[in-house]
Amino acid sequence: MSERTGSTGLGTRLLYLLAGLGVVIALWRFANGIGAVSNLNQGYPWGLWIGFDILAGIALAAGGFVVAALVHLFGGERYHPLVRPAIFTAFLGYLLFIAGLLVDIGRPWTFWQMIIYWHHESPMFEVGWCVMMYTTVLFFEFIPAVLEKYRKTGWMQRWMTFAPWIAWLLVVLFAIALVRTAVWVIAIGGVLLLFQILVERGAIRRDPHVPTLLIIAGVLFSTMHQSSLGTVFTTVPHKLHALWYSPILPVLFFTSAVMVGLAMVIVEATLSAQHLRRPPESDLLRGIARGLFWAAAVYFGLRVADLAVRGAASEAFAFTPQSIAFWLEIIIGLIIPLAMLVSEEVVASDRARFWAAFLIVVGLILNRLNVAITGIHAASAPRYVPHWMEVAVSVGIVSAGILVYRGVIHWLPIIEGHGTTSLAAAARTARSAGGTHP
Amino acid sequence: MATKAMLIDAVRCIGCRACQVTCKMWNARKAEKTEFFSGPGYQNPGDLSAETWTLITYNEVQVNGRFDWVFGKRQCMHCNTPACASACPVGALKKLESGPVIYQKNRCIGCRYCMLACPFEIPRFEYSSPNPYITKCTMCADRIEAGGVPACCKVCPTGAIAFGDRDEMIREAHHRINQNPSGYYHSIYGLEEAGGTCVLHLSNVPFDKIGHRTDVPLHAVNENTERAMGTIPIVMLGAAALLGGIYKFRTRTIRHESDVPPTEE
Repeated sequence: MSERTGSTGLGTRLLYLLAGLGVVIALWRFANGIGAVSNLNQGYPWGLWIGFDILAGIALAAGGFVVAALVHLFGGERYHPLVRPAIFTAFLGYLLFIAGLLVDIGRPWTFWQMIIYWHHESPMFEVGWCVMMYTTVLFFEFIPAVLEKYRKTGWMQRWMTFAPWIAWLLVVLFAIALVRTAVWVIAIGGVLLLFQILVERGAIRRDPHVPTLLIIAGVLFSTMHQSSLGTVFTTVPHKLHALWYSPILPVLFFTSAVMVGLAMVIVEATLSAQHLRRPPESDLLRGIARGLFWAAAVYFGLRVADLAVRGAASEAFAFTPQSIAFWLEIIIGLIIPLAMLVSEEVVASDRARFWAAFLIVVGLILNRLNVAITGIHAASAPRYVPHWMEVAVSVGIVSAGILVYRGVIHWLPIIEGHGTTSLAAAARTARSAGGTHP
Repeated sequence: MATKAMLIDAVRCIGCRACQVTCKMWNARKAEKTEFFSGPGYQNPGDLSAETWTLITYNEVQVNGRFDWVFGKRQCMHCNTPACASACPVGALKKLESGPVIYQKNRCIGCRYCMLACPFEIPRFEYSSPNPYITKCTMCADRIEAGGVPACCKVCPTGAIAFGDRDEMIREAHHRINQNPSGYYHSIYGLEEAGGTCVLHLSNVPFDKIGHRTDVPLHAVNENTERAMGTIPIVMLGAAALLGGIYKFRTRTIRHESDVPPTEE
């Protein structure tokens, strides 16, 4: 606990203050309505909370599924030390995002009604279901850290046995709600059932660390969730500016989420290493940075091709607030970091690599804000500019997130060589749990 | 019941606002405090709101070389394929076969996606309430189900609001334009807008002059959304099979922990 020296410093006190202010404003909003704390109006029903807390927040949490897939499905075992921090960040990110959602939606205490009133045509229904399903999956992906800390070997074993079936059930339930065609539901459920049966019978290798089906379910829900946030905006061809409106918004949202997921792994690993006063996992982060370059290049290519095919590229050269916002987003978030990451020196330097990844994160946030706010045009209402209290709520959520993150990495075995149990011991526990199961 | 529609004729409207008043009476909406705003003359209130579901817009427009007052009527357009209903995650907004798009308030979670999706910017949100709902014109669906006509239509003293089967209303609109070609702008607002609506407008000036949005697509706005939502089963099945397949293929030779290949760059 020697690293905790800074925790009563000025920065920490400021974080507590900001988080507290956010809570107070949230309470004020619940007493007096959303209008009392925001500039949202009848023409601009969505603002900073949707753009930042939700659209950007969910994308920034994508590291969880990207790294989990890389390590547990695609064979990048050497990246194993990055999995737990990424999954924990994703889980925390989703919890924070739900907190933001509770403030933004009008009657949050009725959110559960999505479980009983099914409307499968609605992208928002898909979003809502993805939130519930993936948060549950993330809980199950995160829980081993807690079980390990308290040496609950029996529970770890139960987790290995039951988690895949819970994951399977969630996917099937999701398919029933969203797909609504028996043949497709049976096909989707069948493929995963077959996979699990083959694992149980030894025909497919059983991963001793984690139930593979749980990871697959996480990737499935993430894919649906990231893309469905883009689908949400396909209903507004008449309101969203041509620089952002595209029929392939779901694809763009998914691709950029994969990109920023990788960027967040670099940012977060560098920052937590700094916080813990130790060197970052430089060789692993180098590999991630190379992947980040390609992910950003693919996304950049898609954006350019999409603008060209739709004939919207000329909009970028009209001198409007939208075109300025567009160029800021593209230059800060794609052109500069791509130019940086193409150089092996940047990839190799902890500092330069961090800044390249950081720019990608900033660019992604700008993109989501542009889609949700800058690009939206309502004819009948005054232009929306966030109220300071809206900003304070978002800042409060982020501050609370940093405080919880810092607390938990000291409490639980999240970062290798840190927390009370080492990851090697973690692997042993998981192995013995998995091993005793036939 | 055949699909009903309202035909609102700006040429016949005298701007008395009896429709605004009776709408509030039938739907038990509160009065608004008058606020001066930098907009068209005698219009009051300035815009639709959570309490005002229909609004007569006051527009001083040049007609045949001289300035004249032309009154438009804003309210829910009751689209044939309503973007709001398709957007709503809990099905709180619902298109009835008889024409109206209604709101089932007990289902609403307050996400306001309907407001974003609506091409006519109609649904309103109770921003000042701690227990807020969406509100909008219901075409007096309760009156229609009982065999009546919408309250605003019933009260209009000049017959500027007609109500009947949608086909019949379209015929009537064409008829009025043909009978008086110099007195009408030759278009029916709502015939094709957003895929067609159950509220049709006639006017003697272009519709954007009397408060209607004319940049609305002439097809249902959720076409792209439907296409994207349609790929869900393929993406889910494809991803499940692909991920499972990759894992199976990659680990085909690994049976024990010791078989894990040394990590390569």
